[in-house]
Amino acid sequence: MTNATETASTTATPALRIDSVAKTFSTPHGDVVALEPISLDIQQGEFIAIIGPSGCGKSTLMNAVGGLLEDYEGRVEVDGTVVRGCHKEIGMVFQEESTFPWRTALDNVAFPLEAAGVGKAERHEKAMELLNLVGLDGFENRFPAELSGGMRQRIAIARTLAFKPRILLMDEPFAALDEQTRLLLGDKVLQIQQELNQTTMLITHNIAEAVQLADRVLIMTFRPGRIKRVIDIDLPRPRSSKMMGGERFGQYVAAIWDDLREEASKGLLELEQVRS
Amino acid sequence: MAAVEQIGRAGKAPAEFWTVNRLRIAGIVAILGVWEIAGWSGLFFRGVLPSTVFIVGSMAELLMSAEFYWHLAVTGFEVLVSFIIGCFFGTLVGLVLGTRKFTGDVFEPFIHYLAPTPKIVFLPILLVLFGVGVWSKVALGAISAFFPMALGVAAGVRQVSAVLLRVGKTFNLTTMQTVRMIYLPAMVPPIATGLRIGLGISIVGCLLSEYKLAKAGLGFLAGQYYESFAVAHMLAVLVIIFIFASIGNVLIEKYVRLPGPGDVKAHR
Repeated sequence: MTNATETASTTATPALRIDSVAKTFSTPHGDVVALEPISLDIQQGEFIAIIGPSGCGKSTLMNAVGGLLEDYEGRVEVDGTVVRGCHKEIGMVFQEESTFPWRTALDNVAFPLEAAGVGKAERHEKAMELLNLVGLDGFENRFPAELSGGMRQRIAIARTLAFKPRILLMDEPFAALDEQTRLLLGDKVLQIQQELNQTTMLITHNIAEAVQLADRVLIMTFRPGRIKRVIDIDLPRPRSSKMMGGERFGQYVAAIWDDLREEASKGLLELEQVRS
Repeated sequence: MAAVEQIGRAGKAPAEFWTVNRLRIAGIVAILGVWEIAGWSGLFFRGVLPSTVFIVGSMAELLMSAEFYWHLAVTGFEVLVSFIIGCFFGTLVGLVLGTRKFTGDVFEPFIHYLAPTPKIVFLPILLVLFGVGVWSKVALGAISAFFPMALGVAAGVRQVSAVLLRVGKTFNLTTMQTVRMIYLPAMVPPIATGLRIGLGISIVGCLLSEYKLAKAGLGFLAGQYYESFAVAHMLAVLVIIFIFASIGNVLIEKYVRLPGPGDVKAHR
């Protein structure tokens, strides 16, 4: 697995290329630079985590790449083709509750297929496969209100995967969940990513989560957002949450926190200044 | 955790169901009892508070007369047509107010303040415009139903979750698909509320205008009985109206709802 990714990174065009993407917001108090130009290549099957303090523009970056933010500088390329706006090749999973409460688990997952005009039998079959993949077989006829937060987020992930995106973007997908559910769901995401060789970009503020999941962790600075440092996580795959006790794991977490602490402190300081 | 995570499918336990219904029936019996006692106590003039026995008798009499069904048909027609017209335009206006922030900001206050105004004040104008026949009643009922529907739909549009709309965007939904697959289902609860209030209020509008000036209809009939001091008959008409209104409400409740567990609250 690791080998395959490494060879890919030296030869092929990147699955996702972020080329000098930048964003400045105009406010009544003047312009605010949310994102300084950011460039990044992600290879097929690679798992990237972007970590940074609140207000570092990581969600802005994600929205630019995912197409929800259309007005930005720079370019986003998928397999060498420039994309702008929401794009079939890029799927997004959000932090908030995003399942449709009036649809069963199965029909939630089948949603993008239904919108694309796929027939009922076919889309249900595909949705069943994905529910199996996220470990929700047997719950296909349940409505979201009957399921837990973790299960609903798994439905949301399966629904995004149903669209077969080349790139999966996840914006703090576990932020609303409790720690144990978060770890178990992390394992699930790892397993899915492995099975599908899914190129994935994860936005998070959880250091352990970044180390547990990613091949590379990008640390972002406090406003204006730019990449401060890239850390390659050289832990063997397949990984799981069981590795968290390991010595190397701890070293990575410590190294990331070293960098992150400075940025997070800046954010905190600014917050206190605003208050006083 | 997985097994504990699921919340049982909704539906009251049978024991609770029976307790609830028993209490409801007890409530009705108690009210009828008080009515009956008050009626026989002699505190009121006999004609004002007739015994339920008389009311039931009058109902039977009404239900057996052909003339009654003519009045019922007239009112039924007025209510149905005014309800449909009022709710249709209410939905349209509500959608515009809800989706266009500027329009909503400008015009919604008008609707808010006009909503509680008794619409019967428009009757003279409507009589001039549409005559004393059914159409002036239909117009008044439609105006009545319009307001709760417009406000309900406008509020419903705004409460559609932003993240669901973003999900639709990432899946490249067309505008029509967004309306059909996200907006409309998300708005079913406020629409159902608007329909129920709209139905009640259009019934009131139609009856009230019939009572004021008409040639037929249950409101007209109740007015006639009132004038001739046939209180039992008048009350019998009201009870029949009440029954029909309840049936309408139950039908809306039953058919205008989302799939899914009714008793478990939606997760947001």
